[in-house]
Amino acid sequence: MKNLATPAALILAALAYFVPTVAGGAPVAYAACTTIAILAVMAYGADLILSYLGEVSLGHTIFWATGGYAASRLAVNAGWNGWATAGAAIVLSMILAAALGAATLRTREFVFSLVTYAAAVVAMEVAFNWSFLGGSDGIVGVPPLELTILGHGITGSSNAELWPIAWGLLMLTLLFIHRFRRSRLGTSALMVQMNPDLALALGVDARAVRFLVFVASAPISALAGWLYAYQRAYVGPDMFESYFLVLMLTAIVIVGRRLLLGPLIGTALIIVQQTFFSIGGDGDKIILGAVLAAILLLWPRGLIGVWDVLRRPRTTAR
Amino acid sequence: MNLAQQLINGLVLGSGYALIAIGWTVLLGAARLVNFAHGQLYMLGAFIAWFIMFKLGLSYFLSVPLAMLALGLMGVLLQAMMLRLVMQQNLTSLMIVTLGFGYVMQGGAAKIFGGDPERFISPLQNATIRFGEIWFTWQDVLTLVGTLLLFGVLWLVLNRTRIGAVVRSVAEDPKLAQLFGINAALVYIGVFVFECAAVGLGAGLVAPRTPILASMGFDEVILTFVVVVLGGIGSVGGSLLAGFGLGMFTALFGALVSPAYTTAAAFLVLLTVLVLRPRGLGAK
Repeated sequence: MKNLATPAALILAALAYFVPTVAGGAPVAYAACTTIAILAVMAYGADLILSYLGEVSLGHTIFWATGGYAASRLAVNAGWNGWATAGAAIVLSMILAAALGAATLRTREFVFSLVTYAAAVVAMEVAFNWSFLGGSDGIVGVPPLELTILGHGITGSSNAELWPIAWGLLMLTLLFIHRFRRSRLGTSALMVQMNPDLALALGVDARAVRFLVFVASAPISALAGWLYAYQRAYVGPDMFESYFLVLMLTAIVIVGRRLLLGPLIGTALIIVQQTFFSIGGDGDKIILGAVLAAILLLWPRGLIGVWDVLRRPRTTAR
Repeated sequence: MNLAQQLINGLVLGSGYALIAIGWTVLLGAARLVNFAHGQLYMLGAFIAWFIMFKLGLSYFLSVPLAMLALGLMGVLLQAMMLRLVMQQNLTSLMIVTLGFGYVMQGGAAKIFGGDPERFISPLQNATIRFGEIWFTWQDVLTLVGTLLLFGVLWLVLNRTRIGAVVRSVAEDPKLAQLFGINAALVYIGVFVFECAAVGLGAGLVAPRTPILASMGFDEVILTFVVVVLGGIGSVGGSLLAGFGLGMFTALFGALVSPAYTTAAAFLVLLTVLVLRPRGLGAK
């Protein structure tokens, strides 16, 4: 079984690449798939904190916006290419995460959430008022993404052209999360969350673990924001909107926390609803918020918990 | 800049902050529950009072108590839904649930009341009092007096009555309180209803200052965080002090440095305090 896992994952990944083609290949299919990939990567950043540290970070819109602003500001004003802006997005987000992580090192639970939320509000106010970042207008006219991979130049000027890049970023993110779950850091994080006494007894430095996971999570959301800037050709303070925050959290909890594919499936469900079954912006807000609340109230473990409920009679009979 | 005027402004702003925050302070102290829908409750309170006053034609002094009643009833409903998680003290899930509730309220209010800004005008807003160059409105006086009155009554109830003792015992140790025959679930519902009604009162008194908007919740009440955390978790007196302190800070920072960065500056103060004292200034 275990030997089959790698080929199975590769086949799934390859199949995922052809989803927009199978879905008809229309521009709207590419747009939806690219958006799902980008927002899922954004959610994976917050997933690292919520699933493995067990804390609610309300500050990941900062890293998401950092990626977007780094890409557009450097591409528009300095003419940097895609790799350079991606590097800047990673470095800047990690610096910000290190600062915020250090400030929140001793906070837990709701204080941690409040402080990360407060930091996001501060960041939004700065972006909104600082002309360097375009102020309330944001930065317009982000040029198409250009990446050179092994001598081949890729230009992403439409969603169809951006899709391979979004797919690649999503696969890299999944690989990273998969490796993280098995890494020393990932297992220590779970131990700190589930059994702090055991972690302490084994000499795990809880604060160092929390700090490292927080810093590691930032570039994931930042790279999503980086690609989002090229997709929309525009960034603005709206990247701090609560929509993205609620979307991240809903995507993580909807299927179930601590599942590798959970945030991806969650994001896909949400975006498919909003793209193809929308009942208007305000109505979609009601759906998104209600789904988030209902899942946690009815099946705290996510939709995977429904599966358990259905399976229970059989297991108890045995 | 007129210093005396800014101090008055600070006092008025501060009483508003304290009033909006008090429900959350009590909720956090008694139930350890963080309600991220607090801002949207404020927004709803303002819109319900506005609707009663301008669409149903009732007086301002009737619309505010009715809005409080409506929010209180909603509090019963919301807390009933969350009760299982509250009894388990599943705080992480509760935070996210309230965030979801807030988002539903925001979308719902935009659908019901429309997406345009409205003006919830209080009759006292235009009645000004002047002493030379200094001026304020009767609405400001009402807010200040209302805040002090509510805090006074609340302090007496929490510290001098049987109900207060019950709430404090649940806050201290819910399991032990239940052993003594206290219905913790009922206390949680009561505290949550108080939060909703109190923020309804806050909206009724404070919202006339600015245009009201269905999307304002997240922005308008973020300063509540600062008051609640700086004042010390669950401390009634602490949050009154923190409210006034923050009001003074906002008024003076806005006048002396930059109005655009006031919220950011307030949060930087909060961050600094939390780095130094992670459990708030009022913590023992």
